[in-house]
Amino acid sequence: MDTNTCIELALIIIKVIIISSLLFALPIPLTWIERKVAGHIQLRLGPFRVGWHGILQPVADMIKLMFKEDIIPDKADKWLFKLAPIISLVPIFLTFATVPVGDKITVFGKEVTLYISDMNVGILYILAVAGIGVYGLILGGWASNSKYALFGSIRSSAQMISYELALSFAAIGVVMVTNSLSLVDIVNSQKATTWNICYQPLGFIIYIIAGLAEINRIPFDLSEDEGTLAAGYHVEYSSMRFSFFMLAEYVAMVLMSVLAVVLFFGGWSGPILPPIVWFVIKVSAFIYFFMWVRFTFPRYRYDQLMTIGWKILLPLSLVNILITGLFLI
Amino acid sequence: MTDFLKKILFIDLIKGLSLTLKYNLSKSFTIRYPDEEKWLPYQRFRGLHTLNKDAQGRELCVACELCAKACPTKCITVVPMEDNNGIGIADRIAKIYEINLVRCMFCGFCEDACPTTAIRMGREYELACFSLDCAKADKQRLLAPQEIPVEFEGGYVIKARLERTKEGIRVRPDLTKKKRWW
Amino acid sequence: MELIFFYIFAIFAVSSAIAVISLRNPVHSAVFLMVCFLQVAAIFILLRSPFLAAVQVFVYVGAVMVLFLFAVMVLDLGKERFGEHLHHQSPIAIIIIIGLVFVMGLGLAKAKLDAPIGKYTEAAMAKNTEVMGELLYTKYVFPFEVVSLLLLIALIGAIVLVMKERN
Repeated sequence: MDTNTCIELALIIIKVIIISSLLFALPIPLTWIERKVAGHIQLRLGPFRVGWHGILQPVADMIKLMFKEDIIPDKADKWLFKLAPIISLVPIFLTFATVPVGDKITVFGKEVTLYISDMNVGILYILAVAGIGVYGLILGGWASNSKYALFGSIRSSAQMISYELALSFAAIGVVMVTNSLSLVDIVNSQKATTWNICYQPLGFIIYIIAGLAEINRIPFDLSEDEGTLAAGYHVEYSSMRFSFFMLAEYVAMVLMSVLAVVLFFGGWSGPILPPIVWFVIKVSAFIYFFMWVRFTFPRYRYDQLMTIGWKILLPLSLVNILITGLFLI
Repeated sequence: MTDFLKKILFIDLIKGLSLTLKYNLSKSFTIRYPDEEKWLPYQRFRGLHTLNKDAQGRELCVACELCAKACPTKCITVVPMEDNNGIGIADRIAKIYEINLVRCMFCGFCEDACPTTAIRMGREYELACFSLDCAKADKQRLLAPQEIPVEFEGGYVIKARLERTKEGIRVRPDLTKKKRWW
Repeated sequence: MELIFFYIFAIFAVSSAIAVISLRNPVHSAVFLMVCFLQVAAIFILLRSPFLAAVQVFVYVGAVMVLFLFAVMVLDLGKERFGEHLHHQSPIAIIIIIGLVFVMGLGLAKAKLDAPIGKYTEAAMAKNTEVMGELLYTKYVFPFEVVSLLLLIALIGAIVLVMKERN
């Protein structure tokens, strides 16, 4: 190995460390923001007592979670019970290997790409690997040996099967327009013309709805429905294992926002401001949107969820592909 | 047809979202009690009782025991005594005047029964404490003037601050800074 | 470097495959099947075909979910005894396995394990997805269409079966 490959390798390792520590840290402000948004939407103030405007509340929560007793039910499948939170967390982190946050920048006279790798199957890879994350939910729910948890996990598996299709088909529309599966190419092609939302409005709506279902957020969080399932798949979890599930959920929300920005809103492209700022602005707008939706809509009933998935979103996404194809010809 | 249009254009969902956005941007109703603010009740509020004095500083209570009779929970104990030193407005004053605050349900009947307007319901409502001795309001406590003067108009959120003293936790209001709740 | 990675993935793939058939708990087997498929996907990446790797994860690992649901819904996990289901099948099974090993060994012995990459250069391999798509719609368009027809028939068959039950 010569020095150049060594530098490349070191760069990749540095990028991996930066991105993963960022992802570990991100849920801390996100929980605070979510609770603040919840509060203000309900005309409350949200957390206010720990630190300035309650900004240290997530830290306090984290300390509380760490010192809680780590309970493993006696009749649980111990091995899978311990494995499940990790299965739900790891794939979501893996997807960020191809998520670009910007184009190349020059540091100390060397070009550094703002993504770990630009796979030529980027979008496919992300959808595939993010799909593995649901095994954490399913196995965790099954391993808990609890009825509520099992129902939650079965619901989430059915939900995942029905909505992953619509999500992928919505992404295929974008891929057809931009002629590439690589996320960097998708952004660059949008830079040349306009944002994909102009070509794919239907695809975007399908993507957002299916994405909400994919990351298990209200109005589609049937797998952790408090009203009917106590807490769903994580009802038996406590302490750090529980926080792993929460962490995975928040990172999944970030992933969905990033993908929405990259696929439909031109990624980091934008006038005047530097690209990375545009990227952060767009992604945070989507994260706010997800929170806003959460505190506006009630949860859908389970049969409604299935109806929306199979009878509306899937045919619509097929129609979207057909129309896109016709326009391309 | 309009229903179908409404559905495909997400009219209802957008209505809901715009409403929550409006709420998100508007001011919140939370009163930051006890750290920064406190609710100042209206004058009609029925809080901790107070025994009034007249303009010369004489006790208005003549220990007629009508309040004790009127009390539905029998929580007022009045023991009269004769007194010629001019403490009260008549030669009969209360030797003991005690209200059991645990049993009192703050109905205000004592107020109505009182012929001399001696007993009145005040606006003190932070009555919780760490021991049972504060559950009884004796004459001395009832005679002491309350923090918020009777003339002071209520219905405001006033600035306050939390004080931790040896006697317990108190929320000290600052009557000069007040604002309407909405 | 690549060889080291290949051996790591291969060892994990084979050992998890063994775990799939030797574990008593069907859900544990399903998990190990998932691990096995993931390792195979990693080997596909080493073979410069990221598209196949992604599809492997998408289709096969995704299908394990259905397997898992079967295990949970259909099998009574507590009472399942695997030994009782073998009704004198073991001699036939052994013969078939020996035959299979023989055929596979013959194939392996004849094949060139260190085959050259073929007509595609490294640069063309980087555009793996495009190459594959083009081939599918030009050279292999007939098999492709046959397979899609087969899938369509399976799809309709499933729907028909469900509808019959409902009536």
